[in-house]
Amino acid sequence: MGDGGTTYSGVNPNAVWLNSRGIWLSYVIAVTILHLVLLSIPFLNVAQAWTLTNVVHNIGNYIFLHMLKGTPWETNWDQGKSRLLTHWEQIDFGEQFTTTRKFLFLAPVILFILASFYTKYDPLHFIINLSTMLLVLIPKLPQLHGVRIFGINKY
Amino acid sequence: MVLGGENTLSGSAPTANGHVKESNGFIPHSNGHVPQYKDDKIKKMSQESFEPVPLLVACLTYLGYGMLVLFGYFRDFLRKSGVETTHSTIERKKMKDFVPLYQSFESFYTRNLYTRIRDCWNRPICSVPSAEFDVSERVSDDGNWHLRLTGKSRRCVNLGSYNYLGFAENKGPCADAAAEALQQYGAGVCSTRQELGNYRIHEELEETTARFLGVEDAVTFGMGFATNSMNIPALMGGKGCLILSDELNHASLVLGARLCSTVIKVFKHNDIEDVERKLREAIINGQPRTHRAWRKILIIVEGIYSMEGSIIKLPDFIRLKKKYGAYLYLDEAHSVGALGETGRGVTEYWGVDPRDVDIMMGTFTKSFGAAGGYIAGSKRLINHLRAYSHSTTYACSMSAPVAQQVISSMKIIMGEDGTNRGQLRIKQLAANSKYFRQRLVEMGFIVYGNDDSPIVPVLLYMPAKIAAFSRELYQQNVGVVVVGFPATPLVESRARFCLSAAHTREMLDKVLDAISDVGDRLQLKYSLNSPVKAVSAEECYSQVDSLAHKA
Repeated sequence: MGDGGTTYSGVNPNAVWLNSRGIWLSYVIAVTILHLVLLSIPFLNVAQAWTLTNVVHNIGNYIFLHMLKGTPWETNWDQGKSRLLTHWEQIDFGEQFTTTRKFLFLAPVILFILASFYTKYDPLHFIINLSTMLLVLIPKLPQLHGVRIFGINKY
Repeated sequence: MVLGGENTLSGSAPTANGHVKESNGFIPHSNGHVPQYKDDKIKKMSQESFEPVPLLVACLTYLGYGMLVLFGYFRDFLRKSGVETTHSTIERKKMKDFVPLYQSFESFYTRNLYTRIRDCWNRPICSVPSAEFDVSERVSDDGNWHLRLTGKSRRCVNLGSYNYLGFAENKGPCADAAAEALQQYGAGVCSTRQELGNYRIHEELEETTARFLGVEDAVTFGMGFATNSMNIPALMGGKGCLILSDELNHASLVLGARLCSTVIKVFKHNDIEDVERKLREAIINGQPRTHRAWRKILIIVEGIYSMEGSIIKLPDFIRLKKKYGAYLYLDEAHSVGALGETGRGVTEYWGVDPRDVDIMMGTFTKSFGAAGGYIAGSKRLINHLRAYSHSTTYACSMSAPVAQQVISSMKIIMGEDGTNRGQLRIKQLAANSKYFRQRLVEMGFIVYGNDDSPIVPVLLYMPAKIAAFSRELYQQNVGVVVVGFPATPLVESRARFCLSAAHTREMLDKVLDAISDVGDRLQLKYSLNSPVKAVSAEECYSQVDSLAHKA
């Protein structure tokens, strides 16, 4: 591990670790565990548990993929280029439409569909689920790669 | 297959113009077909194994890292709110209105993951790193932020040093010759090769190296890393060049490639088809905007890759380079002295002519117990490097006792000292590697790499097991090197064992028992493959024993 920040051949690990074997399965398992935990809380009914799962998942997704910038380790090899990029923009070195990006795009959609089903299409739940889903899907569009609206989160 | 010579779809032979009746016209032929190897080459190519991670283990590894990250955020919150003392560097209060100097997110990994298990690395060693060495003990009162020496040391078996032929000794003919050279020339050289630092001993070293490798000439440098990073720019300067580099190349090769103004393309590890595809693309398309032909194309590969233990498929690369007119740069840092019947490296291992490799590079650090590196090849190449290398122009040359150590160890390996001690070392290393690797595979560990390589990486996968493995083995007096993310891919943290000719079979047996015990307690025996029919220990060591009797 050296000093905790060096890699072989200077590849940004953030760009490739989501392609590792078993990571998608682990992602699904993690969301399932989150959902089961929420379902076990006694005063939440099924609809609320599903909406909460959706909301917590989307907020976590937004924070880790679109809010935090840079890498949690030192990047000595790229002169700080990845410091200004969010994790989503670093995936696969900025290449669009890779399978990892497609998977991460689909995950909130599938959760939204499931949540809508289990909340029986109730209007309030629908608005909450839809808004969090849009919050997390719009930054993933390739047109918004590197875009910072109103300069929020630029540096 | 010859174009038009055969058609496997229908049975009819082609007519004079190549047309085959009763077929759809498709005559399968392959441009880059694999030539017919002799049997032992095919056997060598099928000896590598990289068993993929079992799915359950991968999920648990991600869970482990996830927990560590969550706790990291929690601890950072405690530090920020003042509940916990912050040991790392913080901004000065005076400068709080300025742009911050440090981005605390970038040190997240170091602060919350690496520091917790920091005692597994940078262990101070207080003896010569031969088969056994003394490792100083350290303790910490504040979770590894400050480590202090207790004054005691442990005598451990050394499985981490690159000591392939066992020349890391402070007694014996090499050490005596080096001491004599020290008396004669002093410790320092005080000049560069091109000025007043060209000693007779340097020229003798270069003659010996060229003779050892079987090439026309060689030039040596004082530092192994700098051999790569300072000489690739001397070879590939100027516009219009292309470098094709393996994805797992060492940092020195990457740095050397980046210091030239060339286009660099990376190909998948040891994957001949990928290299061929990229070569063809490059040659067909030419330079990026202008589409002019490339001036030169250099393929940079290593002999043994130290993190994987894989050996390069050299005959394929040579065939490719001859076909497309590219040059081949072979970095034999870990393979010179360690592979081949007489220790000449990966060219002897595969039985190819060393003159086919345009630029052979290697280091004296690993198999010769010294320091520094060499580049060997044709006289024209070496004369160019002697004039244009950054190292010969600006860096001080190799210290004389170090050069003498290399000369004496090379002479021992070549048998020029009149004994067969060199051959015995080579055979001992080969037997040790085979035996050790085999026993580990039998026990059920996942081991990467080629059966013949003296580097044996054992996969640990989970972050906590990295530390546990290192500490447990240290308690049982075995010193190992462990590596984790981000130096390796996220899932593939490993312990890397480096075998040595100085290890005896009894030492290895004791070590293997310790590893097996630790592996059972930590549940590291992940392999799902059924146990292989192994060669017995007696067969592994038969050549060594017969040579030892002759000596």
